[in-house]
Amino acid sequence: MAAALGQSARSVLACGEVRTCLLPSFQALDGRAAAQLLRLRADDHVRVSERPTMYALSPEVLTGVDCRLPTSNGSKVRAVGTVVARAALTEGRLLQSTAYFSVPAAGPDIRRPWGQYLVRPGLVEPFGKLPQQATAEGVLRGAGRGELDLGTIAEGLLTALRRHALLDRRVPFKSRPTHLRWVARRQPEGERASLTNFTVAEGGLRTMELRLPQDVPAAAAAGLCEDLALHDWLLTTVQQMLDNSRIGATDGPSVVEALHPVVVHLLHLWMPRAHVDPALGHLWDVLEEKPGFSRQWEKLSRRIRDRLALQAVTTPHQALSPR
Amino acid sequence: MLIFAASDKGGTGRSVTSANLAYHRALAGDDVCYLDFDFGSPTAVAVFDVADAREATEERGLHAYLIGEVSEPERIDVWARTEHQVLRDPPPGCGRLVLMPGDVSGGEFATTDDNLRRCVDLLMKLYYEFDLVVVDLSAGRSYAVDMALEATAQPEMSEVTARWLVFHRWTRQHVAAAASLVFGRRGIVAGGVDRGHDEEALRGAIRFVRAAVPDPESPLWSQVSPTQSAWMRKTDGDLKQLASTAGIGYSQVLGSVPLEPVLQWREQLITDEDVLDSQIANQETWQALSRLAARLTDDKYWEEA
Repeated sequence: MAAALGQSARSVLACGEVRTCLLPSFQALDGRAAAQLLRLRADDHVRVSERPTMYALSPEVLTGVDCRLPTSNGSKVRAVGTVVARAALTEGRLLQSTAYFSVPAAGPDIRRPWGQYLVRPGLVEPFGKLPQQATAEGVLRGAGRGELDLGTIAEGLLTALRRHALLDRRVPFKSRPTHLRWVARRQPEGERASLTNFTVAEGGLRTMELRLPQDVPAAAAAGLCEDLALHDWLLTTVQQMLDNSRIGATDGPSVVEALHPVVVHLLHLWMPRAHVDPALGHLWDVLEEKPGFSRQWEKLSRRIRDRLALQAVTTPHQALSPR
Repeated sequence: MLIFAASDKGGTGRSVTSANLAYHRALAGDDVCYLDFDFGSPTAVAVFDVADAREATEERGLHAYLIGEVSEPERIDVWARTEHQVLRDPPPGCGRLVLMPGDVSGGEFATTDDNLRRCVDLLMKLYYEFDLVVVDLSAGRSYAVDMALEATAQPEMSEVTARWLVFHRWTRQHVAAAASLVFGRRGIVAGGVDRGHDEEALRGAIRFVRAAVPDPESPLWSQVSPTQSAWMRKTDGDLKQLASTAGIGYSQVLGSVPLEPVLQWREQLITDEDVLDSQIANQETWQALSRLAARLTDDKYWEEA
């Protein structure tokens, strides 16, 4: 029996959603405050690392689910288990929450006692056979009513964090949150992980498809996706600020004013794969090759610095000297 | 900044005017979100001409969100989804214009703690994201008004600038009703104070918008008989007197919108094309809307009177 259970627990698919937003706090949080914010559980620590960037990762919290899986072909698959949620704060500035779970190829046709689900955190078991392709597509498309909605769980955690008493609820600039949905298909142990698809859709939605060897934990995939989502948010946000008419068309102090928050709060945040599992670090190369995340970031930062330099040159001396 | 649009009665042009204000701000480069809190009779979908997009998002609107049926209310990107020809090609450099529709089947409901919690969460989230958030509230002293007052009284919203526009038509009854909606015994100010608002601050955050105001000096009325003309002037003067006595005189008015058939009958956004090319709308209306839109964030118009 134990062997049979172990067999069925071997997952074929991992799915998740990451939400990324600016922390609603005028000042970036330091390591101590970050740890305080992300202390989701009293019995577990917040992991804080200071190098190469300040990064804090909350302990994982579980959400019990018993509902239909989202499927693209309308097939109704009930599933029971737990979804893992966690939050991360980068440089005390960018807040992320992730909800993710793994599913085995098949599960028993009856619901088991909760204890048996709880011993496998992050595993959701289907009733019967899992329609793998349809579920992967369903997750990427987004859940309908009554279906397992990772976005709701991730957003719920984010909302709770944004309400935290530690935060002054003042944002240094307006920005749009993004969400990235991902699915990872499992492949035999020993094979190399690969990134098969990354798309930027409308409404701040991104989707990503991976192939993940059996020995790499789903948490590592979640970490990679958080890292990608964070850098994608940076690109999207800074690009949007540059595209804004008030920078594009105007000159003078308003340009400095508009670009000020980028320089103060965002430019130093670029640090790809800083906290990515070594087994997955190479997946970044694909995105560096095409579309070229870091190339685009360099271009954006250069554009901002040039713009500010130009402004400094044309500004009369008296305007620059301290009043 | 949050702008709440309230009105004493229906038919004041509250929805269509506030939608036009949102549109003007987006044209000027602001990221704007328009929330249809007119529970029971949501009209914003028609005003922004996004009926098809609405079909797809049926029953996932603000009402469903506030009562907890969906985790996030649907958003409609107006520039991308509208069927209005002119709106489909917004000028370069304009900001985002997002509509959060109400639900057709959603009636009024009580302000429970959970609903309130969700309302505050949503307003805060939008405040972090948009330069301007316009909330269109149902007419009268409705649940929507209660919820807005209650939400903005919460300590977590203390940093957020919230301003109120009260729309009323330029008639004796509407002037009296608007004054009572704000200053009456069960009015917005009293209701706000009950919920913990500072009276002075709340009064300072409320301005009136006179809608469908016929201007006796307008060329439109240049053909009327001298008696009619004299009567119009006299009545206009009387109304000004009445408004001033009711406490909604000149210093409390953010602006007025002229009587405009396009606003009255079509109930849609007035575009520059309506004014310049087809010329079905009046230049004065466009200017009045543009002025009003600019004053929303101009502190000069919101200083203590």
